[in-house]
Amino acid sequence: MDFGSFLSAPELKLKIVTYRDIFQNKALIEDRFGEEYIAKSALIKLDSVDLKNLSLKKGETVILKNSFGKVVVKAEASDSETPHRGIAYMPNSPWSNRLVSTETGGTGVPRFKEIEATVVSAKGEKITELEF
Amino acid sequence: MEKEYYVCTGCGLLCEDIETELEKRAISKVYTACRVGVAHMKENPGTAKFWVEGKNTDEATAIGKAAALLKAAKNPLIFGLDNSTNEAQKKAIELAKKLNATLDDSSSFSFGPLMAALLQKKFKTCSLDEVRDKADVSVFWGADPSDSHPRQLSKFAYFPRGKEKQRGWEEERTAIAIDIRKTHTAKICGNEFYQVPLGGDAEFMEALIAGLSGKLPKTSYKYPPKKLLELANLLKAAKFGVIFIGQDLLYSLETLAPLFRLMDTLNEKAKGDFFLIPLLEAYNMRGFNENLFEETGFVNRVKFEAGSVKHGPEYSVVESLKAKAVDAALIIGSDPLANLPYSIIKELLEIPLITIDPCETLTSKKAQVSIRSGVSGVEAGGSALRIDGVRVAFKPVFESKCPSDEEILFKIMEAF
Ligand code: SF4
Repeated sequence: MDFGSFLSAPELKLKIVTYRDIFQNKALIEDRFGEEYIAKSALIKLDSVDLKNLSLKKGETVILKNSFGKVVVKAEASDSETPHRGIAYMPNSPWSNRLVSTETGGTGVPRFKEIEATVVSAKGEKITELEF
Repeated sequence: MEKEYYVCTGCGLLCEDIETELEKRAISKVYTACRVGVAHMKENPGTAKFWVEGKNTDEATAIGKAAALLKAAKNPLIFGLDNSTNEAQKKAIELAKKLNATLDDSSSFSFGPLMAALLQKKFKTCSLDEVRDKADVSVFWGADPSDSHPRQLSKFAYFPRGKEKQRGWEEERTAIAIDIRKTHTAKICGNEFYQVPLGGDAEFMEALIAGLSGKLPKTSYKYPPKKLLELANLLKAAKFGVIFIGQDLLYSLETLAPLFRLMDTLNEKAKGDFFLIPLLEAYNMRGFNENLFEETGFVNRVKFEAGSVKHGPEYSVVESLKAKAVDAALIIGSDPLANLPYSIIKELLEIPLITIDPCETLTSKKAQVSIRSGVSGVEAGGSALRIDGVRVAFKPVFESKCPSDEEILFKIMEAF
């Protein structure tokens, strides 16, 4: 019997920093509904220790969640030379925007850059499809 | 035969040296552009398309329906236009006046305040040609042109030889990156990369001002004062310095005051002058801001009302949707369903939507009326303002059946 499955999967709190990526931009222009754009956008890059603590392997999916939304994206280790535990990087995309706070304080500027969310293994769940 | 050069509208640099090869009314080869530019120039389905309620239709039906939806609205929103020509932007301003509409663009949640300050001459700015010819120090702050403006370093800021910069980058130019992560641009800058903790930019600016003024630069996150002083000295020695500001820095600053103080201090303490250029991304955000400024004195977030114009955060795309103040939206060359937070998107889905865009987007798929327009510089001619305000005119690479944004807006206005 797999007793592991009774234990709740490890969960981490993250600060997510979004960024733009030239290859993602190129994929967007070529086909914004295509596989390549999804692969380069629905993605989070974690510190390798965080990835290990979540019992994840490269390319497995994770659930990112906060009070504003929830998405399933792929996780991988970042190539940063300096450790950045608790901070993760995500390409700017409709997936990251699902987690952006609606609190603007009347300024008209959503906090695109300061995303706080929890991360947990999605146990094989597929990447969130963009449907409205 | 003389070579024909075209303009790429893939980003705010508007590169003017693009050569193309055509095959059966489509671009088959693109030379000199970066990989984003190549993808952008090749994006040219060439055929006009009109949809109403998701069904293919003809031009007259789509234009008529769009005009009817806008006319029926009490307070329509016109949003986007950062990827449209100056000519289309001016038409949209005219349309907004006629409809008493709210008008806004993406600078509303990015470069707006910086562009307003620039047009009000609150700091010195210069052209990219001057950067190429004279700059010895370029700072990229929260900016990653290697990814957002791929030819920026090779054409202007770092690698090229310029009139007064004949020996090239190894000897005569310094590129500095200040960022929260090691970006591709930061990698090119090598040792001149200064990593700031998340949200730490304002403090870094204050510390730099202290360093430039001969005081000990201190930060709460204990950035090594020695490194900060080295940076201050490097900037002080500049004969012609430029700071390129990226969107990421703007998201990290509560106000622009520390940035303006830093510019003032640099111009006081450095050997030469210091200039600031915003690294606007969409190819004609600068045009939108300048064209609207010329007309109203504001760069974005306006509402026209019986001959007068109101301005404020309540007229921003985000707040006006949140407050349910707008009751129809005309979206031009923008994909808010992809770019805005989900809760705001939900409001947009509640009202009639009309889109004008060269591509099918998440937003166009949900629109009541969606019109495919020609890609600027490929299928449609016109002019735009480069990130430094230089006007660039362009002609289409080939004659296309796709109407330009300007033509579509003109026809919608005629249909009233
Ligand atoms: S740098 Fe910008 S304008 Fe120049 S080719 Fe690339 S995408 Fe086009």
